[in-house]
Amino acid sequence: MALATERQRIQHLLRRAGFGYSPEELGEYLALGLTGTIDRLLNPERVDDAVAEVAADSFREKALQDRQALLTTWHARLVLTKRPLLEKLTYFWHDHWATGIRKVNAPSYMLVQNEAIRAGALGKFRDLAMAMTRDPAMMIWLDNRDNVAKAPNENYAREFLELFTLGEGHLYTEKDVKEAARALTGWRVTAAKPTPESNFPVATGVVFMPRQFDAGMKTFLGETGKFGDEDVVRIVTSRRECADYIGEKLWRFFAVPDPTPAMIKRTSDAYFANDTSIREMMRVILTSDEMYSAAAYRWRIKSPVEHVVHATRAFGLTDRVPRIVRDTQTEGQALFDPPSVAGWNWGEAWVNSNTFLARANFANEVTRRGKPDQKLNLDAAALLQANNAGRTAEAAVDFALDLLVGGDVDAGTRATLIEHIGGTHYSFAEASRSGALQGLFYLVLTMPLAQLA
Amino acid sequence: MDYANETFLDRPVDRRSFIKRGIAFVGAGAFTPPAFLRAVFDEETRPLTSASVTSAAAKRHVLVVLQMAGGNDGLNTVIPVGDRAYFDARPTIALNPEASLPLEQGFALNPAMTGMKALYDRGQLGVVLGVGYPNPNRSHFRSMDIWHSASMDESADTGWIGRLLDATKYEQASMWRAANIGSQEAFSLRSKSSFVPSLGSVPDYVLQTDNSFRGEGPRRQQSFLQLQRQAEALAVQAEYGGQLAFVSKTGLDAYQSTVDLHTAVTEYKTTITYPTTPLASALKTSAQLITSNLATGVCYVTTGGFDTHSNQQGTQNGLLGGVSNALLAFYDDLQAQGIADQVTTLVWSEFGRRVKENGSRGTDHGTASPMFIVGGGVRSGMHGEQPSVANLDGSGDLKYTTDFRSVYASVIAQRFKIDPKDVLGGSYPTLPLYA
Repeated sequence: MALATERQRIQHLLRRAGFGYSPEELGEYLALGLTGTIDRLLNPERVDDAVAEVAADSFREKALQDRQALLTTWHARLVLTKRPLLEKLTYFWHDHWATGIRKVNAPSYMLVQNEAIRAGALGKFRDLAMAMTRDPAMMIWLDNRDNVAKAPNENYAREFLELFTLGEGHLYTEKDVKEAARALTGWRVTAAKPTPESNFPVATGVVFMPRQFDAGMKTFLGETGKFGDEDVVRIVTSRRECADYIGEKLWRFFAVPDPTPAMIKRTSDAYFANDTSIREMMRVILTSDEMYSAAAYRWRIKSPVEHVVHATRAFGLTDRVPRIVRDTQTEGQALFDPPSVAGWNWGEAWVNSNTFLARANFANEVTRRGKPDQKLNLDAAALLQANNAGRTAEAAVDFALDLLVGGDVDAGTRATLIEHIGGTHYSFAEASRSGALQGLFYLVLTMPLAQLA
Repeated sequence: MDYANETFLDRPVDRRSFIKRGIAFVGAGAFTPPAFLRAVFDEETRPLTSASVTSAAAKRHVLVVLQMAGGNDGLNTVIPVGDRAYFDARPTIALNPEASLPLEQGFALNPAMTGMKALYDRGQLGVVLGVGYPNPNRSHFRSMDIWHSASMDESADTGWIGRLLDATKYEQASMWRAANIGSQEAFSLRSKSSFVPSLGSVPDYVLQTDNSFRGEGPRRQQSFLQLQRQAEALAVQAEYGGQLAFVSKTGLDAYQSTVDLHTAVTEYKTTITYPTTPLASALKTSAQLITSNLATGVCYVTTGGFDTHSNQQGTQNGLLGGVSNALLAFYDDLQAQGIADQVTTLVWSEFGRRVKENGSRGTDHGTASPMFIVGGGVRSGMHGEQPSVANLDGSGDLKYTTDFRSVYASVIAQRFKIDPKDVLGGSYPTLPLYA
């Protein structure tokens, strides 16, 4: 039966609402139990995250000017954070409010946006929508800084309705797009003057230019007034269709492929009862029966970031952080560089022959025997010994399966893995010497099940 | 160079032997060929075409699709230099007719498109004017889906090329009969039954194995394949079987396609220097596949950035110059290999842009725009009719004159020689796109 034990439910939760787990991390959450784990995930401010903060901060200054450092600072958080849901939602919202450095060009703008998303990831959706509407990177990405009364630019208005709040064809018309564009006029991005050492401007904020604002009457989604950007955000986020659209997307991302109208109603009710709170929508989802139902189990294909970060966290390969920036890109997801304003294509689109090979080759890379003093590569023998799992072939295989796919594997697959490390002739010393133990983890990482979350 | 003298015709394909070699490499005994390979074992091996076959109809035809994602502004691509209304609508971003590259009938190419002008001068560039579809959708994503699926039905789950592959039964034994170049598979290629490999570059398309332990590498590869097959079998019964089946099949196909690819692609050489852009590399990879004996009949490449809401001129000229130079290098290469007249490239974008420029020296989402058809066999020059810049729809956009499915239908009928209805589900008037 799917997700029969609390252990499996917690592992499932950590794959969805986090980025996997190391044996130590799993132990901590098991001690809290499922309810305690959900509570901790929903209240990240109660968890000290100094290690991730320090690591991320060490790249921050450089990230203002350097794209590689920008990527590294976020990957450091992904691998090190003890606030997995907060980071998972930051990642979710980056895909939702997808903004690309190719057009924005300046790394500091992307960093400022990333920090704004993290700050609002579990807050009120209305506040997040407002923060993104006035976010400098977003203003460049979707041209709202060029949206002026004299000649409106409807790029942001259209995507705000189509992708960020209501969904294509829901509720709004072409006329609403044009009226929203008028209400969104009047904003400019401000930046510090570049210094001789800097390659890129550094974002300082946005400023309202009253003369560029269209102060006339607008009729938007049936309401009429001399609307500005706050009115557009207020009107849209007060609509049931907006709560439904966001709730459905959250259900899909965290729980099941086909949320029912009744499920969507529950998250929308929480949204309206709690002043558009994302945290309360997430509480509904993570505490729901559906979250741990058969329909929720192993249907979702891991994204490249989830795939790479899960393995990196499971093996504790903290020295690998700067390298996994390239690994996630090779597998098909370059953070801060979504393929379009609609974000990444999820589901089966993540896996084709090219990206499957990239996943397998990543597994090959991390399971190469590395130097003992560096946390760059897996040391399979050491990991098994530390977890008292090397004595029999069965114990070694079950440990690897539990760590990377949450156990629950068919007998045939298990037998293949046991055979690979020696079967009835298994000896820890021999399997370690021959590379078979390293191979065990390579094989589990390349198993189709390990591509599912 | 005469096509009949080039590479694969000298060396008739023996696919059976290379597939067997691939399997031998995996390890003796353990491998039962998957269903998709069994046909190959039973089928008599034959060359793709042979030197004795001389009629043009028997030659292999290749379709390359180049997608310009983001909504390319057609009016600044194929410029109606004789039309005052164009200049009136675009006070800051209209292109200078003096600098533009003259075609015919009062049209000129964007000044950056010198490569495509050269193809036009060579008689290898067709322009289809005013391409669109009824009730245009101005969402990038919805409009792309319409073009990919060639259907207005939102639940369409196959692409038009995927259905073309299914309908033609073309070279079914080859895993490489169609290829997506890039890490995101194009929806156009999606089919009910055909695997389509995606690749970045030929050298990177490998399953790496750690060789630092003696004997462990080959053992690992064998266990790897066995685990993929066990997952495939398990998928039939597991509740989460759908994705498991998909991933394991992709894994097995990916592996086998690396073996096929590296057995076949060894001989490609070119004297042409391609630009160093991702798009040019993708076209070079396409040339590599087309000239190998993999029987590749379709290559799909995508390039993006055409969503020019602000400061359009510099951005769009740069992008069009990139497309144009990459295409010229590609056709120079194909020409040198003697197969330029067998390779058709279709260039499309999900929509054109608003006729009137916006306040940011850019243009918002619009409707109809020109498509390009490139190749040695195409009827060079202008096809179809230019929509009037003076007679616009309610949003200030061009009214399309040719349905994009007419262009697909023309290529399907005139090159793949099958009834377009089998692929498009409906009948569309064809245009005489080939000479």
